[in-house]
Amino acid sequence: MKYLVMVQGTQADYDGMQGKPTPGSPAWSEAEMQAMFAHMGAINDDLSETGELIDAQGLTEPARTRLVALGADGKAVITDGPYSETKELMAGYWVLECASLERVTEIADRVTRCPLPEGAANRAVVIRPIGEGGGDI
Amino acid sequence: MRDTTGIEDLLRRHAPQVLGALVRRYGHFDTAEDAVQEALLAAARQWPEHGVPENPRGWLIRVASRRLTDALRAEEARRAREEKAAALEPREPYTAEPPREDDTLSLLFLCCHPELTPTAQIALTLRAVGGLTTAEIARAYLVPEATMAQRISRAKAKVRGVRFGRPDNWAERLPAVLHTLYLIFNEGYTATSGPSLTRRELAGEAIRLTRAVHRLLPEAGEVAGLLALMLLTDARRAARTGPHGELVPLDEQDRDRWDEAAIEEGVALVTRALSQGPAGPYQLRAAIAAVHDEAPSARATDWHEILGLYEVLVRLVPGPVERLNRAVAVAMVDGPHAGLAELDVLADELGEGHRPDAVRGHLLERAGDLAAARAAYESAAARTLSLPEQRYLRTRAARLGP
Repeated sequence: MKYLVMVQGTQADYDGMQGKPTPGSPAWSEAEMQAMFAHMGAINDDLSETGELIDAQGLTEPARTRLVALGADGKAVITDGPYSETKELMAGYWVLECASLERVTEIADRVTRCPLPEGAANRAVVIRPIGEGGGDI
Repeated sequence: MRDTTGIEDLLRRHAPQVLGALVRRYGHFDTAEDAVQEALLAAARQWPEHGVPENPRGWLIRVASRRLTDALRAEEARRAREEKAAALEPREPYTAEPPREDDTLSLLFLCCHPELTPTAQIALTLRAVGGLTTAEIARAYLVPEATMAQRISRAKAKVRGVRFGRPDNWAERLPAVLHTLYLIFNEGYTATSGPSLTRRELAGEAIRLTRAVHRLLPEAGEVAGLLALMLLTDARRAARTGPHGELVPLDEQDRDRWDEAAIEEGVALVTRALSQGPAGPYQLRAAIAAVHDEAPSARATDWHEILGLYEVLVRLVPGPVERLNRAVAVAMVDGPHAGLAELDVLADELGEGHRPDAVRGHLLERAGDLAAARAAYESAAARTLSLPEQRYLRTRAARLGP
């Protein structure tokens, strides 16, 4: 069964990673960034080895979001960012092929153990089964 | 500290498993093989600098998978453009499976496919299973890199549609795999041309691959036999060349320089294999090598036993090389004249190679016919392409005086 596993973040979290701290989203040092990349990289390597990894990507900051909606006049209404600083949005995802929800949960649990700077919010990891009706969820 | 040899070993060890995992998941052996090579090169560049990842095999699979899917997407886009049809072929079913050691075998069977010529089998095996680059293989076989690249890509094209996995008739096809490994070993041990007598890397590579096959098929007697033969032959490597790169014949080698651990391992392997059923050709060759290796001196060699083993071998493999070697054993047991008589019988079959002349030279020398021995050595020297062998034969001739 395929699953989408998402990590979440706010615009403030992205700002923190770029060195601009706000309350609840401290600035990251280079070493802290590297520790985070190493943690995620190791997860990806292991998932590649087990054959469960189909795709993994990180997303750019919410400020670079573009919304496209259909206006009342039948024309597209285009809005470029930004979201509120504190709205939690998808920051990165994995598409995984796993044997069971228990197994994906185990992977998500490992993701949550990512080293973070002191005071940073540890946001929940979201699991969404892909396709036909949700399987065993 | 940069540990490039360690990293190279690590990469070579993982290469077949990474390729196997990719081919099982995505198919496309030829594209997957390129992707694995790229991942190996990326690792060889990055790891010495940034350190080896915690899970090197996972790292390689991740990088290679990404290269492969990129390549497949590009290929699909190209095809769609060319055919102007949205060729939305169903993707191969994606199965979540970790690498298997058995993939190494599946790859060997694929690389030694009966459709391929022996040279193509060797080249493909060294690249896909051995993890060597095209440039390294080209260097080892003394051909231009472009030639080797062409040979490999033609071979890959030929096996494109072949199902991946251990073939149903694998036992029937095992001899072809073993033969390829044996040829790689021999090329490494006695380079057929060029300045260096032992192209170490090839012999070592052949031993490494044969060891892997032995681990997967521990009950296959001929696999054990081949591994034993390689170990028992390679054990004499250090003693086989003198200080100036010259060839030292078996009876003049300093036996203290033989690799005792390799001999012990080889003897144990062949002893066990021989006790488990009828002996195949590799087991017999290994048994002969073991008799040599276990003799405390050339004089103490049990030639009766060696001759007995050759008698069985030539019945299984009545080839010119086996019969020539048997003639040598006959000479050691019954004297040089008996050996020369055997050579005369074989003359037509043996043809023009340098080895029959070299053997004739030795036997004539032992029989005391020095002028004829000298002529035979000279003739042999003119026929071999290997420089160390040429030097050895000419020295031998010169030693007999004018």
